[in-house]
Amino acid sequence: MNWKNMAAIMAAIYGIMAMLPFFLGKTNFVMHILIMCLIWAVVASCWDLIMGFAGIFSFGQVAFFVIGAYASAIVSNTYHVSPAGAILLAGGFTAAVGILVGLPCLRLKGAYVALVTFAVHMTLEPLLKGDFGRAIGTGGSRGIMAIAPLKLFGVTFSSADPVPFFYLTLIFFIICTLIILFVIKSYWGTAFVALKDSENLAASLGISAFKYKLTVFALTSFITGLAGGFYCHYVGMLSHRLLGVDLFVTLMVMLAIGGIGHYPGAIIGAFITVTLNELLAPLGTYRPLIIGILIILLVLLFPDGIIGLVQKVFTSKADKATKPVY
Amino acid sequence: MYLELIDVLISGLTNGSVYALMAAGLTLVYGVSKAFNFAYGSFFSLGGYIAWMLMAVFGTAKGYFFVFILSVPLLLLIGYGVERIIVSPLRKRQDWEVKVMMVTLGLALLLDNSFQVVFGARMKSLPPIMEGALTINDVIVSYQDMAIFILSIASILCFRWMLNNTRLGMAARAVAQNPAGAQIVGIPQNIIFASTFAVSTAMVGVGGILLSQKYFISPADGWDILVKAWVITAFGGMGSIRGSLYAAFILGMLEACVGWLFGMSWILVANFAVLVTTLAIRPQGLFGKWG
Amino acid sequence: MLRATNLNAYYGEFHVLENVSIEVLKGQVVVMLGPNGHGKSTLLKAICGLAEKVEGKIIYNEKEITVQPAEKLVNQGITYISENRELFPQMTVMENLKLGAYSKNARPHERKNLKKVFRLFPRLKERKRQLASTLSGGEARMLALARGLMSNANFLCVDEPCLGLQPNLRMEVLRIIKEINQQGITILLVEQNIPKITELADQLYVLEEGQVTFQGNKDQALGNTQLKDIFLGM
Repeated sequence: MNWKNMAAIMAAIYGIMAMLPFFLGKTNFVMHILIMCLIWAVVASCWDLIMGFAGIFSFGQVAFFVIGAYASAIVSNTYHVSPAGAILLAGGFTAAVGILVGLPCLRLKGAYVALVTFAVHMTLEPLLKGDFGRAIGTGGSRGIMAIAPLKLFGVTFSSADPVPFFYLTLIFFIICTLIILFVIKSYWGTAFVALKDSENLAASLGISAFKYKLTVFALTSFITGLAGGFYCHYVGMLSHRLLGVDLFVTLMVMLAIGGIGHYPGAIIGAFITVTLNELLAPLGTYRPLIIGILIILLVLLFPDGIIGLVQKVFTSKADKATKPVY
Repeated sequence: MYLELIDVLISGLTNGSVYALMAAGLTLVYGVSKAFNFAYGSFFSLGGYIAWMLMAVFGTAKGYFFVFILSVPLLLLIGYGVERIIVSPLRKRQDWEVKVMMVTLGLALLLDNSFQVVFGARMKSLPPIMEGALTINDVIVSYQDMAIFILSIASILCFRWMLNNTRLGMAARAVAQNPAGAQIVGIPQNIIFASTFAVSTAMVGVGGILLSQKYFISPADGWDILVKAWVITAFGGMGSIRGSLYAAFILGMLEACVGWLFGMSWILVANFAVLVTTLAIRPQGLFGKWG
Repeated sequence: MLRATNLNAYYGEFHVLENVSIEVLKGQVVVMLGPNGHGKSTLLKAICGLAEKVEGKIIYNEKEITVQPAEKLVNQGITYISENRELFPQMTVMENLKLGAYSKNARPHERKNLKKVFRLFPRLKERKRQLASTLSGGEARMLALARGLMSNANFLCVDEPCLGLQPNLRMEVLRIIKEINQQGITILLVEQNIPKITELADQLYVLEEGQVTFQGNKDQALGNTQLKDIFLGM
């Protein structure tokens, strides 16, 4: 997608989002959904950057989110660091974990990266639940209760009054998505496209696959960690249930709806999925079942998601005007 | 202490043999078609539930022979269908590998939650395949453990024989070694992809039947199995059945020891440590050819 | 036996073959010459159902066979022998040959063809238990040819069988191809500047930039001075 369309879509998203509280600000429930939309849009964007653009099959995105959330909660609860500082520390810590995970596996072939990152995800749950977790303050299988709300410049951002928190999250969201957009459209993005096409060719052009992959891995881990921190101080409690397959696949539905590697798509996918998820909530056990079916159908029927669909409609119109070229 | 250690070792051997079976199935399907199947673990639970259902419908009197006779073809059929319907259409697409991961992940979620809806969240248990135990000077080895061990080793040997001597097995190896060459000699790749997927489904399903009678069947058990099977495959070397065998026994033992010494919550951590160490030091695994 | 009319083939956005028409009569050896990368291999692959995107019409034994997958064509006796050999490296020579007879049509004749192949290539018989990856370049080339013969083909598409071989081995390969032809198998052979190739050919084509630029029999080819200079190396 070219700059113009992308910028237009992003500006529209920002504008609409900024105005929504004026219409919906009265209902806390709707504001809560909007905040969740923004947080998950950041996480989904990071994942899209990694999988869609960098071509790294990372399945540790939820794990990094949870690591960030737990780190922030523990730092602020146990060591009484102010939540804002805790979130930053959590981002740094998550980035460090990201580098640690990336070092052994980013040199390997695709499926092995998927395996290692997914194994991080799987290993995290028993760690957080077990003795080790309790020792560092994760609260074991009960989780962490009563996480301090975020305070900045004397203002408390809590879930009781979501509108200020919404705007704070919106700023965070705008910054993160601009960073990601910058990465995709910069020299880096071009390098990644080259890497995905042919790693050998890219290497001969002097693009070191490993260095780029590790950098982008660290960057997205950092942002995802921050998002985790935001999440925990907003919700006020944490449990290892976040690591269930459920959330993992939900995040994937966001990418499937938006279209992998079709950038602002992931954001739109996140908005749709979070809303849908809330609407499906009354269905209980059937909800994950439906999500499972949904992702299978989406991937099979709409391989490039919404953005792909829109692009197809536009190009087929253009095709009629001009002759097809080979 | 000494007797306890023996118990731990026996458990490691038994579990290791079943892990080897499941890892061999994974090696097969990834080696031939390069598809990363996230639902592999769910097929493990599926095997357990199918056995449980058969037992519930026909009674336990007919025994496991009957269960295997019915469940293996069923699992083959399910695997074949899954490959044809949700994996195969993706192969020609851009980024098909990620897309296969996505649909199989969706399938896993679908299966796990269907189990929950159909069978409930309560754990189910299967009767032991054989009662009684062999006692040699205080050391007790249950016939159940022995039967599981023998059955899984026999299945692996049978699988290996098929791979080396049947047309289908040779064709599968041909596709794994050189897809272009396989196409040239007229091997229909789609059928081979679907068949290997079916065989691997049956292997992990049988693994589920064998292990579920020692533990329990519950809807989300498969995830541990998926990770373990992958760790064994990576550790033993992709595409090497001998490698999976050794790796499975080493990991089975390690797991039994870690569980005994430090507690169950450390088992996955130990697996993870083995995985990362292997990939960092010897990415091709113990016996594998890198690729 | 085989007639292809107005074949067009694309590789991605690249138009590789433009309206190529060729005809191969039963029992002939037809040689296709031309510079590297001008579509010779693609033509063979298009005929054998291995090319990506093909338009046009291919008639084989009075039946249309365009856009059929390779496995169906192998079953009808059309076999491709790749310039890259495409062997199964971790299998023995014997296993490679057995896989050559994978198609339904070849299965009943496996034993007969194995005998035939071992008579043509005695070296392979000596090495039948060896892994394909341990063969020398020449032996691997022989194995690729032998594996192609195992399919019980009536029509062999042989892609640059002399690529990377020493001159004396090249002569050996060409001699074997002639022998195969004398046993009644029709051959479409792709090569580039090999002397003596004309002796083998009943019909010659030259393919340049995806188009047929010359077509004729041995004498016509030898009479064409430009062709002689550039492609026949004489």
